[in-house]
This record gives sequence, C-alpha cells and structure tokens, in this order.
Amino acid sequence: MNAHGGPQLKIEQYLSEVRGRLRGLREEQVSEIIAELRSHIAERAASAGELTVEGVSAALRTLGSSEELAREYAADEVLARAEISRSPLRLIDSLFSWATMSVAGFLVLIGAITGYFVGLVFLVVALLKPFHPATAGLWALRNGADDLELSMRMGFGAAPSNGHELLGWWIMPLGIVIGCGLVILTTRLALWCVGMYRRSRRLGWRA
Amino acid sequence: MKEIVEPSPAEKWEVQLRKGCLELAILAALWEGRLYGLEILRVLESNSELIVSEGTIYPLLTRLKTLGLVESEWVESDSGHPRKYYALTQAGRERAREMAAMWEKFSLSMGRLLTSVKEVHR
Repeated sequence: MNAHGGPQLKIEQYLSEVRGRLRGLREEQVSEIIAELRSHIAERAASAGELTVEGVSAALRTLGSSEELAREYAADEVLARAEISRSPLRLIDSLFSWATMSVAGFLVLIGAITGYFVGLVFLVVALLKPFHPATAGLWALRNGADDLELSMRMGFGAAPSNGHELLGWWIMPLGIVIGCGLVILTTRLALWCVGMYRRSRRLGWRA
Repeated sequence: MKEIVEPSPAEKWEVQLRKGCLELAILAALWEGRLYGLEILRVLESNSELIVSEGTIYPLLTRLKTLGLVESEWVESDSGHPRKYYALTQAGRERAREMAAMWEKFSLSMGRLLTSVKEVHR
C-alpha cells in the first residue's frame, strides 16, 4: 500500500483488495459491502478530527487484513445462502460458490452431486418402467471377466443378453422411495455439513 | 522481526466464548431500535465485555440479513457519507427471544455448577 497517496487513496486501495477477493458473491452484494466498509472506515478514521493517513491506517488495522475480511464475508454469506436453501438446485448453486473457497466446500459439493445423481437415477428408472417394462430396472450383468455387476438401466435399446433383471415391477415403488430418500438425505447431510463448518469457523481463533 | 505472541488456552477459550455469543449480542443491541455498524460496535463495547474485532461484525451482519433476521437501509448523515442502518425483522425478534431464553437457562445451570469453584477462588 502507498502510504504517501493520501488517506482517500489508502481507503480505496484497501477496498479494491477486498472487492477483488469477494468471490462467490453477487455484484450488488459486493457493491453494498464495499459501500458499507467505505462509510465505516471514513467515519472511524475521522472520529479524531480530520481524515489523515494515520487515522485511516488505524481504522484499517482494526478491520484486519483485506484477505481475512473478504474470506469472512464470502464464507458467511455463501454458507448462510446454502443454509436457507430449500431446493436441491439452489443448494448445489450455493455449494458451487463454497467449493471455490475451501476444500471442505469442494468435498461437500462432490458428495451432494453424487447423492443427488444416484437418487435421480432411481427416480428416473422407476418412472420409465411403465414405458420400457422389459428393459428398464436393476440388472445383474456378467462382464467380460465373468464377474457379476449391478446396473441401473433406463431401458432404451434392446435388453442385454448377458444378464437378467432383478426387481421387476418392484423397481417402481422401491425406486421412488429410495430416490426421494436419497435426495432428502443428501440435502440434510449437506446442510448439516454447512452448519458444522460455519460454527467451526465462527469459533476459530481469529481475534 | 515482529514477534507473534501465541494466546494462552484461557484467552483462546474467552475469544470462542465471545464469538459464540456475538449473534445474540447483536440481536440484543438492535432490540431497542435501528443502529448502524459502528454504533452496534460501540453498544457492544460499552454495555458488555464483548469487545470484538471490527472485521468480525460486518460479515456477521451481512449473514444475519441473508437469513432474514435483520433488514437494512441506507440513510444520509450529517457526517457526509451515508450510513447503513440495521433493524430487527419479526423473525429476528423471535430468534432473539428464543436465544435469550436459552441463554437464561444455560447461565442458571452454569451458575449453580460454578458456585463451588467461585467459593474456592474467594
């Protein structure tokens, strides 16, 4: 930071650093955060009289480094958005933002995508069963090495010759129950992870 | 070279305690009416031992707003720059009441448990 550029320049440099680090937030939120910080710094720095470089430096010290401040904002906001998400799509959207910030977010995102994907496969196969009665369902297939493997098939194309279907029409109720269960479980688990992470961050040693 | 002083376990615990209470403290500070960020900090500093780093309070206010517990509006001030005022929403008032009741219960239990510790300390 340039200490000779005047107090206003010093404030703008700090705010520009914070702005550059506020990833995952909407532009209007970023603008509002920056405006609030600008107002805070100006008032804090001028509380002893005229706006001076020393006053600004002291105000910025109490706010902490631009990196740490931006991280607090981004994590708090994204996690709060994830916590109030009611639909899987909104939750995934928030988790994407969280994943850009931390390894924990990335892992939760991967877990959530996997959970939703498997749940969706069960639901789709259950719903396609009436249209492809002979081919859609859970199949046991023999692969090239003569090992048995399970495969969820939507039923497009011919029935496989190297295996047989396991559940018959039971795939409909089971697929719907398991699919919905996985979607609900994935949502709850992801929200639990978000809550745990947020609490652990808030209680961390960052005086 | 700047020497980094590692906080003692008791100091770490104190910070955790303060941060854990911060959400309730902010909601309580806003109970009587709207305040802007610096005013909230001053209320916390003057009415309690909750002296917190300024970099902690603004992100928390933004989160409380996202959760619908507070609402904000910009107001022009005589100081030459607009101030962002925060006020409790209905959901925020309900949350503050719930948290205050929990705090009361928790504090009474801890008080009973700590009686003997305080007597030894005397």
